[in-house]
Amino acid sequence: MAHDEALGNVGRRDFLFKVTTVVGGVGVAAATVPFVTSMNPSADLLAKATTEVDLAGMEPGHMRTVAWQGKPVFILRRTEEQIKLAVASKGGLEPVADQQRVKQAEWLVVIGVCTHMGCVPNLEGEGWTCHCHGSQYDYSGRVVRGPAGKNLEVPPYRFSAADKLVIGEA
Amino acid sequence: MSNKVMQWIDRRFPLTSFVKHDLSEYPTPRNLSYWWNFGSLAGIVLVLQVMTGIFLAMHYKADVNMSFASIQHIMRDVNYGWLLRYMHSTGASAFFLVIFIHMARTLYYGSYRAPRELLWWTGQGLLLLLMGTAFMGYLLPWGQMSFWGATVITNLFRATPFIGDQVVVWLRGDFTVGDETLTRFFALHYLLPFVIIGGVMIHLIALHMVKSSNPSGIDLADKDNIPFHPYFTIKDLYGLGVFLMVYFGFALFFPNLLIEPANNIPANPMQTPNHIVPEWYFLPFYAILRSVPNMVGGVVAMGLSVILFAFMPMLDRSKIPGGALYRPIFRLQFYLFIIDMLILGYIGYVPPTDQTILIGQIASVAYFGSFFLVPFISTAEEKWLRKRGLPKQVEALIASEELQIAQKKSGGK
Amino acid sequence: MKKQLLALALCCVTSLSSANSEVKLEKIQVDPSVPAVKRGVEAFMDSCRGCHSLKYIKYQDLVGLGFDKAKVKEWQGDWTIDSPVMGMMPDDAAMASFGTIPPELSLMARARDGGNNYLYSYLMAYYTGADGVTGNHVFPASKMPDPLGISSATEPAQRAEIAAKAKDIVSFLNWAADPHEQERFKLGYYVMGYLFVLTTLLYMMKKRIWARLD
Repeated sequence: MAHDEALGNVGRRDFLFKVTTVVGGVGVAAATVPFVTSMNPSADLLAKATTEVDLAGMEPGHMRTVAWQGKPVFILRRTEEQIKLAVASKGGLEPVADQQRVKQAEWLVVIGVCTHMGCVPNLEGEGWTCHCHGSQYDYSGRVVRGPAGKNLEVPPYRFSAADKLVIGEA
Repeated sequence: MSNKVMQWIDRRFPLTSFVKHDLSEYPTPRNLSYWWNFGSLAGIVLVLQVMTGIFLAMHYKADVNMSFASIQHIMRDVNYGWLLRYMHSTGASAFFLVIFIHMARTLYYGSYRAPRELLWWTGQGLLLLLMGTAFMGYLLPWGQMSFWGATVITNLFRATPFIGDQVVVWLRGDFTVGDETLTRFFALHYLLPFVIIGGVMIHLIALHMVKSSNPSGIDLADKDNIPFHPYFTIKDLYGLGVFLMVYFGFALFFPNLLIEPANNIPANPMQTPNHIVPEWYFLPFYAILRSVPNMVGGVVAMGLSVILFAFMPMLDRSKIPGGALYRPIFRLQFYLFIIDMLILGYIGYVPPTDQTILIGQIASVAYFGSFFLVPFISTAEEKWLRKRGLPKQVEALIASEELQIAQKKSGGK
Repeated sequence: MKKQLLALALCCVTSLSSANSEVKLEKIQVDPSVPAVKRGVEAFMDSCRGCHSLKYIKYQDLVGLGFDKAKVKEWQGDWTIDSPVMGMMPDDAAMASFGTIPPELSLMARARDGGNNYLYSYLMAYYTGADGVTGNHVFPASKMPDPLGISSATEPAQRAEIAAKAKDIVSFLNWAADPHEQERFKLGYYVMGYLFVLTTLLYMMKKRIWARLD
């Protein structure tokens, strides 16, 4: 029947068919963008929201995990021992002095997300150990054993009072 | 390579044969006009609503204390949330517009007649499901209009004999429209579209049994059917392009035309807005409801006004095919009916005054009259037209149909 | 018979629609540009915020608009940056003074028939009655005092200044009700342009394919 040729009239190799298909395809691809991006965190989540943390009642050696911008933040009240270990070296794979990572030596504030693939490390060993692939961090949150290559990120924070922390604002 | 894959599948699943039989090679009358595009358009709008609805549901909160704010969250903070919301609200109106035109086509061309009655009735069922879905969806933003519209309409179920009060409380889950109502309406609003999808498949199975009608009203010979692909795939795509321009014109430039200002105010059970008004697609039925001074009577009239369409195959007694094409009086009736619907829509919108109530009552009588007069007018018109003389092919069709009926009768004896 | 009835109906309908007891609203074109909206924010903080809050606008949204953090901090006071902009008047004080709580304004540009026209006309419709009491032509039952002073402004220059301030406030409230409006229009132009091209191509394809039929 001529019908098979009808499409052949605008044959697969025909310019009009190609152009229409490409233009249509671009539209379909573009149309997926709003749907997919709507699933990403919304503006209010990403905005510089701050988390206030009350530090009262935390003993030396005690760690608390709080949420800030959807991420876990480790707040460790370091013991004398731990501070000594942190200050003693410049870290491992990404060397930096401990003093540059803390505002008060007693308090370490780091984002508890392993810089390798994003798992949350556990407080164990001489610092933190990530059970996903074995990365290790010291008491300053610096990476001492891979596969991670970067230190745990220090978020902006400040002390609004002696025992109150505001994460998200420097 | 892909041929081998298809062969592997085809041995286990009728994929190729189904696609050939019901999609690409499906015989379609070659003379279908653009009025036949609206079925596939309705399918597209259904997909649009389901897609936008699912992604909206990822952010919406169905709790009276959170729902209004969650919509604002979607509008302001969710990436492209404003787009999803406006597409969904515009899509609801688009859906009804497309469906009304689709129904109008069916009425005008008599496509509801034998053997397409089940096709028409499954369509009616789909319309009812759509109305239910839209009604429940409208409560979800929890604005003033959402709340009071739901209050008024659920109140109508008090008309149920004997157990009216209990039915209303059962529907709402509480004595008044509240958190219970909102939660269950959200659950059902999410569910019903999938029931509609199932209903659409049944509707299409019915269609494929009897095949499309066409503007002449007389089923064409096989040689005058053409395969759906590529002729109607491209025609439907072109129609879709035109439709999308209208749709996005509204959704992106005038979305607030279709959103009542009062719905930008959070629901207040203590204060009724001055002017409660349903969405435009419910207005004619709302006008009929308000035309009857008695509550039960109004509810019955409103229900009847929707159900009455289903009786068209039985009401229309004329043997002349093609609906309005060869029947000038039927055509006039059709146009008058459309005008009547528009008047009823206007009456449903404006606040009731003595004048508007009277007009509404006249228009409601005209509405029901249009249906009830069909049996009489159709037979009288047929007699008149036969005397005047009909086109040859029409007379031939009527003759062959009468022959078939006679043969069946004599065969039965 | 039906025709006559319907003609009668149509006449009644058209005569009804011309009977309009509503106040004529002044038409205004809001300025959607960021500078105008920012002026509106300042005017809002100046003349409105004393009583009215913005439930769905957070301070961080004002930073996003382009104000620097220090400026926003002034308005913020002790509130956190992700709090909504609260009015200064506590609810009980408002009830005592006015007998009603001033409505929050983040959606007001869309919550009234007439939208922006209504808001602008309302702000400009205050007048001083013969008895010295202020009233409002657009919303006579309003308990709100004249926020911009139009009811006591006689000089044309004064009135023009107030009109400009009112326009800025309405431009801001228009933004507050729908912050993504401009983005939506921009997308609209692209989408319509794209659909026009695509639909034309589809039309050409349709014509070509159907040409094959005898």
